Amino acid sequence: MVTFKVNGRTVQTEKNQKLLRFLRDELHLTSVKDGCSEGACGACTVIIDGKTCKACVPDTDSLDGREVITVEGLTEWEEQVYTYAYGKAGAVQCGFCIPGMVMCTKALLDVNKTPSDDEIRYALRNNYCRCTGYVKIMDAVRLAAKILDAGVLPDDGDQNWAIGNRVSRIDVEEKVLGTGRYPDDFYLDGMLYGTALRSQYARARVLSIDTSKARALEGVEAVVTAGDIPGENKIGHLKHDQYTLIPVGGLTHYLGDAIALVAAKDRETAEKAKKLIKVEYEVLPPVHTIEEAAAPDAHKVFDEEENNICAHKHISRGNAEEAIQNSKYVISHHFETPWTEHAFLEPECAVAFYDEDGDVFIYSTDQSAHQTLHECSLVLGTDKVKVQNALVGGGFGGKEDMTVQHLAALLTYVTKKPVKVKLTRAESLLVHPKRHPFYMDMTMGCDEHGNIMGVKATVVSDTGAYASLGGPVLERACTHAAGPYHYENFEIEGTAYYTNNPPAGAFRGFGVTQTCFATETLLNMMADRVGITPWEIRYRNAIRPGEVLPNGQIVDESTGLIETLEAVREDYETALAEGKPVGIGCAMKNAGVGVGIPDTGRVKLIVEDDEKLHIYSGASCIGQGLGTVLVQMVVTNTDLKHEDIVYERSNTWIAPDSGTTSGSRQTLITGEACRRACEKLMEDRKTGKSLKDMRGIVYYGEYLAKTDPLGANVPNPVSHVAYGYATQMCILNKKTGKMEYIVAAHDVGKAVNPLSCEGQIEGGVVMSMGYALREKYPIDENCRPIQKYGSLGLFRAHEVPKIKAIVVDKPGLNVACGAIGIGEITSIPTAPAIADAYFRYDGIRRYSLPLTDTPYERKW
Amino acid sequence: MAVKKRFPYRAALVACNGGCRTAKDGQGCADGCIGCGACIQECKFGAIFLNEYGVAEVDEEKCIACGKCAKVCPQEIIHIHECANYIVVKCSNKSKGAAAKKQCEVSCIGCGICEKTCTAGAIRVTENHAVINEELCLSCGMCAVKCPRHVIYDLRGIYTEIK
Repeated sequence: MVTFKVNGRTVQTEKNQKLLRFLRDELHLTSVKDGCSEGACGACTVIIDGKTCKACVPDTDSLDGREVITVEGLTEWEEQVYTYAYGKAGAVQCGFCIPGMVMCTKALLDVNKTPSDDEIRYALRNNYCRCTGYVKIMDAVRLAAKILDAGVLPDDGDQNWAIGNRVSRIDVEEKVLGTGRYPDDFYLDGMLYGTALRSQYARARVLSIDTSKARALEGVEAVVTAGDIPGENKIGHLKHDQYTLIPVGGLTHYLGDAIALVAAKDRETAEKAKKLIKVEYEVLPPVHTIEEAAAPDAHKVFDEEENNICAHKHISRGNAEEAIQNSKYVISHHFETPWTEHAFLEPECAVAFYDEDGDVFIYSTDQSAHQTLHECSLVLGTDKVKVQNALVGGGFGGKEDMTVQHLAALLTYVTKKPVKVKLTRAESLLVHPKRHPFYMDMTMGCDEHGNIMGVKATVVSDTGAYASLGGPVLERACTHAAGPYHYENFEIEGTAYYTNNPPAGAFRGFGVTQTCFATETLLNMMADRVGITPWEIRYRNAIRPGEVLPNGQIVDESTGLIETLEAVREDYETALAEGKPVGIGCAMKNAGVGVGIPDTGRVKLIVEDDEKLHIYSGASCIGQGLGTVLVQMVVTNTDLKHEDIVYERSNTWIAPDSGTTSGSRQTLITGEACRRACEKLMEDRKTGKSLKDMRGIVYYGEYLAKTDPLGANVPNPVSHVAYGYATQMCILNKKTGKMEYIVAAHDVGKAVNPLSCEGQIEGGVVMSMGYALREKYPIDENCRPIQKYGSLGLFRAHEVPKIKAIVVDKPGLNVACGAIGIGEITSIPTAPAIADAYFRYDGIRRYSLPLTDTPYERKW
Repeated sequence: MAVKKRFPYRAALVACNGGCRTAKDGQGCADGCIGCGACIQECKFGAIFLNEYGVAEVDEEKCIACGKCAKVCPQEIIHIHECANYIVVKCSNKSKGAAAKKQCEVSCIGCGICEKTCTAGAIRVTENHAVINEELCLSCGMCAVKCPRHVIYDLRGIYTEIK
């Protein structure tokens, strides 16, 4: 028995366990987030005797006499200060890291009232954030220090919520104080814990499964195998090729394949039961590389397929071959980019139970509740399913596929009880689809002035064990490989191969992060060949309004690539004049799914009994701030004040399907649907109706973003309704070779919330610093990923250089009040810009990521 | 002598904690601190002293990380580290497990539990004892909590007692 204090209250515990488990499972202090349970992420940071500690580290037995403080133990004044400061600074995105960051802030400011910037960086540096790039969190610490010193909160509340204003996001308070709930924060009465037994081998045939011993274990409520699935076994985001459970006789595809599920009264019992399940395998040699997958006598990843090709794309316009032959300068090279892990702070978790309607109800962290509904309904063989988005602790593309939702639903279906299924961090690293590694061979031809005449490329990707979004990612990689430039001759051939590696799928940038590295690097090499600056070669080739992209699309007046180039010009030229190593890259990225696929935004505005207007849309806010965007959209397009508006998280029974949070599409597509709903609402308002009069009325808005399919037989197909454009540059310190300054200029159309927009830019840039300089996700010859969360190479607070985020506010399209998405493009031109800076620094041209021989490499 | 220190603060660390706590009569550890006092003599700041086990210990408040102690240490077991990295290995024993175990009750036996535990890949058994790479370390303390020999310390005294 040990006795210690938690938030001033004396507690005792007999059972020795990790402090994290005690705080969450017994005291239900759910501000203490479980992001990894291995000491890496920092989401469970608490204060013990004045020092920050990760609660997953100490055993309760070691805490006798100690004093523990969590966010729940802040004084009212501290709550106000941190909520204000984090909101005002724009420090909160997905929010999963925030309570831990708040604890770091408090521990620092309790002993140091005027911390220096370095002291702030150090105070945060053992905690990861994957959304913000730390920039605005550091701003929040500075602001909190000022307010604590002044002793009063500034009286400068957000008066104007119309589009274009830097308002604090609507979900700041619940995320700072830890009261908002992610799925893992639900503790339901009688809730069971579910877990999956995963395959021992990446490629093997399952010969038999014996669950008898596991079933007999006390506390085990169910052991489920493929035969127990009432509906379809195979599901998938597009192609239904992913097994929920591998049946006897079936082939395993990767180490994340589930063979059996266990539901038990607690985690320990569930884990124990898994060990009692006996599976016999016929072990088969795995397909580990693209080369192995493409070999003529390759082993097949799927019994059902003829070969290991998941997707093949060939795109051609003009005559690239001939254009290159006639070019004065021609450069060719081979490029490679690695696997990358999303590393969102919140591991996948779902809680399912039967609701009063007899439906299986799922609390989900995903990128589309309707997608979750659809896939879980398939597995259960019934439509009697509801899905409610809880808070989503980051996604970046990695939460588009089902990972736990269908497993929780299935276990609830079998046991009739509430079930929580949460992936351990190790499982999360193994299971959800990653960023595709690419091999790229690209040739570019230019005339004597540096005008691009033609580009030809062949790219191949490893899409791992399942199709996931491997096809569309390959397609986007191919279409955008041309870059944001005006030339007519472009040809690319792409192939995505199945292997027995973990699946690859959507990841912020969706294939463009890969091909952009090749195109932009070639363009930088070409500038040197022609004898002009990399800035100048881009300025000459940049797509301007009214011109034709290599895909044939005529770009509209909103096109702002030139403006982004001009925005960085002064910084670029100053760096050149000072002889500093500076690198540059440009990018374009679609907003919306495009290429002829139906892409619809839907919003319902309903005045509820509280006489407030509730926004319902089946569109997941995964931390990017969709709720705030929609509230600002309503304020702008109605006569309502933000106090009259409530944003409801996505669900599947009131909120209409508004598509997946993917392709930087929600601000534009769902934003426009929202604007249209506002128009209808205003018709009623103009007749003099008050909110009270409008109770119960549903104002529905829908927007179909219409595009032409790839290869459409029209002279100038509209591949996407809108594109964002960007120029980013990186300046290195001449002496240390470390990054000194990043300038990221983005054309976002009309910035709905410039503060949020900057947060996206900083976060995207820092994420891609990792991609450019350090992040790896190595997979061994048995197709097993070998990294833990703390060794992925994610950037830490003290390593982030000064970042200038420039929001080029150019009037956008005539939809969504001119807003274009920002989510993905922030991560796209960063790597080539950094790569070019290192070339200017040491004269070594690097063709693979992460870049080698930089001060950021992980070394012993 | 007061010297203004620049953040991030650095200080010397003596990688020995034991004074051969079990072994007597010359059966002890050949690699640890011998209590010769060379470092103490060299330090102008009075930042090093011999603790109750007879081994040198650094007062991080006083130390300015000039590194002179590290140079004079005949055992070469003093190095400069960043104070923000409060999780440290206090052992330099190069003997293999069984021998190391006999030599001292708080010696690293190179079991590698820390290495397996570390999420950051920041600790490795080198020359039969654990070594932390402070560039990579996330200061979580999981290794200190798991170390069966109490070789890895939290200098703040939260996860482990200070001595």
